[in-house]
Order: sequence, then structure tokens, then C-alpha cells
Amino acid sequence: MEAVVIAYKFMRLDGTSVFTGFGWPLPNGRPGAWVDARIDPCRSGIHACRPSDLPLWVGRTLYEVELDGEIVEQPTKVVASRGRLLRRVEAWDDALRDAYTRMCADRAHELALGANPPLAAWDAVVEPSIPEGPALLGFVAARIAEEISGTGAYHRERAGQTEWLVERLGLRTEG
Amino acid sequence: MSRAGIDNRTAAVSSKEADLLARLRDGDEKAFESLVDRFHGTMLAVARTYVKTRPVAEDVVQDAWLGVLNGLDGFEGRSSLKTWILRILVNTAMTRGVREARSVPFSSFAADEEEGPAVDPERFRGRGDAFSGHWNGYPNDWSSLPEETLLGRETLAVVKRAIDELPAMQQRVITLRDIEGSSAEEACGALDLSSGNQRVLLHRARSHVRAALERHLDA
Amino acid sequence: MPESAEHITCQEVVELVTGYLEAALPADEMALFEQHLNFCEGCVWYVDQMRTTIATVGRISEEDVPVETRERLLMAFRGWKQS
Repeated sequence: MEAVVIAYKFMRLDGTSVFTGFGWPLPNGRPGAWVDARIDPCRSGIHACRPSDLPLWVGRTLYEVELDGEIVEQPTKVVASRGRLLRRVEAWDDALRDAYTRMCADRAHELALGANPPLAAWDAVVEPSIPEGPALLGFVAARIAEEISGTGAYHRERAGQTEWLVERLGLRTEG
Repeated sequence: MSRAGIDNRTAAVSSKEADLLARLRDGDEKAFESLVDRFHGTMLAVARTYVKTRPVAEDVVQDAWLGVLNGLDGFEGRSSLKTWILRILVNTAMTRGVREARSVPFSSFAADEEEGPAVDPERFRGRGDAFSGHWNGYPNDWSSLPEETLLGRETLAVVKRAIDELPAMQQRVITLRDIEGSSAEEACGALDLSSGNQRVLLHRARSHVRAALERHLDA
Repeated sequence: MPESAEHITCQEVVELVTGYLEAALPADEMALFEQHLNFCEGCVWYVDQMRTTIATVGRISEEDVPVETRERLLMAFRGWKQS
């Protein structure tokens, strides 16, 4: 028997896909129904996140998804021909979203003001970005890291965001 | 052989078209009328981008239909019927346009290669700014506009005017793609464009029209 | 072409939007485009504006065939039939 492939998927509040608006069969005590799709990487297929991809796709609600069929790993996502939603990750609620936003904002300040010379203009962008939510702040923090120390720093910042999320959401990590 | 080539995706004659073709060759007048109804308007719009005046464009379309009839028996179905008809139209219009150009001042037609960004660079934060390249102020959320505004006659007029202002090739592409509803492959086949060129022209055309719509809606 | 491999700007988005809607961008640009939309409300609205623009253009109906033209063409068709 093959190992079950678990991944994650951010969705809109109403359980529809962020980019396609596709209405997923939602789990309700039991997994949602299987959905099949033709794979054409980045054009069609079931798209999902590994933990390391989470910060890039932060959205309103988070689900644990089981993937099956043909599974293709891409740089920032996994694409499968078959998937079903197992459960909603309840821990990802408004309070945690706000905490994550705050964490990224604090990191952004720390990085910008800790630079030599300080990146005052970038620092000034942080607070006004807060109302736009966690995805933007995550980007701002990583972007500031990149501005100071390059591509590696961008990825390290993202990895730090993943760590924060995995810990507080109690997710299964990669083997 | 055109750059668009004989591409499988240009879709050789479909079964529905094969049906129509048989009826046409049989002399079925209803079939011919429905063909005319379907393509005449588009042919006129495209012809209009090649020649100076409307009466000449109507003439061109008339000639093109005669060309279609003359070629109907010999049509081999290597491209779709639609692409073939539009190609005849384009060739007829081009020939007439070239003949006319001898007496038309250059200034009559806008440059086909309209370089220029899709959106005024002033709308974005500058190089060297934090967040360079990002919006200075967001564009508006049109989903919050009342439906009647977007569906109204005035809005349609703004859009029509914006399309009329376009350089000829951009006008042809947006007419075939977004008004007539051709696929990218069909538009490439009809206009003898590479898919890359077609996309660039479509992009410029749509960007221009969006900007015109934005000026109208945000006023 | 995107200046960074990690992210694209709004200015790049407005140039890539047609490729995106045609599903003609290379896979990596596709992913960068969607990642950007995921955090940038302004660009979500811009892409939506573009979709609305396309839909509005689609509402333009081509001219009807004038009666004289229709008759002339039918005559031509009958003439062709006979030959």
C-alpha cells in the first residue's frame, strides 16, 4: 500500500479555490469527496502546499488535503490529478492570522532598522501594510531580508515563517 | 507558407463545419445566408482597418465573398472554414489597401508598433523607492460598481471608440479575439501572425481599452 | 522578464496579465504571478478590471447585414450554384 500524501490548501472563506473559484466538497466530520482533475502544471490540476510553500499562499482558511493519482512537485507547490479535503485546520483562525501578521511586521521592523544604514523607507511601509493582512506582511519581511542580504536571506526568512506556522498549527512536517 | 503554418490547433474543418460545407456545395441558400450572417460584420470591421472608407470596405467584403464562392469547391479543409474565409478577406483587403496607399498620406494610419507600457509608470513607486514597482495607489475595485454602469450604452460607446483609435493590427486582433470570439490559433491563422506577436498585439489593444474604460468609470 | 526570480512587481503584473489570462506564461512566471495576486489586492482588482474590459468588448455586436448586400450576395450564390 502506497504512502498517503498529505498537503495543505488555503481557500477562501466559502471553501472555494482562491484563483479558480472552484467549489470544493468540504469535509464535515469526514473527508470531503475526491476531486479529479487533468494535470497540466500551472494550468490545471489540484494545487496544494507543502509546509515550505505555506507562507507564499497564506489565505483565509486552511485545509489539510490528501493527494493521489499523478503527483508533480514544482518549486512552490504540488500539483496532483486527484485530491480530497480531509479536515479544516481550525487552529488557523483570525487570532492566529493576526498574530502571524504581527510577527512578520515585527521581523520587518527588526530587519529594516537593524540594517546599516537603516532602511527607513522600507520600515515606513510596514505598519500601513498591516490592514492588508498576513500574506502581504510575510512578503514585506522576506523582501526586506532580500534587500539587505540577497536571495538566500529571502528564502531563510520564508523558512522562518514556515517554522512559525508549522509549530502553531500542529502540522505534519516533511519526513 | 505563413508563420502560423498548418497547425493542428488551427483545427481543420470540424464535423459541424463539414456539414455546412456539404450543404453549401449542394447549393443550400439557408446555409449560405447563415454563413454570411455569422461573418459579415467581422469581415467588415477587419476590412475597415485596411482601407480608407466604409464604402471601399463594403466593396472589399463583397469581393471576399465572391472569392469564397470561387474557392468553395476547391477548399481542402486544411484549416477551419472560418480561418479560410477570414484569410480571403484579409488578402482581399490587403491588396486593396496597398492600391489605395499610393494615394493615402502616411499620417492616416497610426503606427502599428505602438510602444508603451500598459499602465503609466507614474502609477507605480519609482526605482530606488522601497517597494519599487508596486502601485502608488491601487486601481479601483470595479466589482463594487453598479451593474447598470458596466452594462450601459455609454460604457459600450467608450469601448468602441477606444478600439477605433487603435493601430490597425491591434484593432484586427482584438476584433477577432474579443468581439468575434476567435481562438488565438484562429486569429494567428487569419492574420498570419506568430502566436507571440498575436499575444503582444492583443495585450496592447486590451491595455489601451482598459485605460479608456478606467478614465470613463473613475471620472 | 521578471527582475527577481523570487517575486514580481505590480508593474510587471500589468505587462504579464494577457499571458496569464491566456494561460500562456511559462510555469515559473505563472506561479510568481499568482503568488503576487495572493498578497496584492491592487493587482487582483487590476486583473479583474482586465476581465471586465474583455467582457465589455465582447458585448459589441457586429453589424447586421444590410438588405441590399444580402440580396446581392444571394444572387451571387445562385449564379455560382448554376456554374
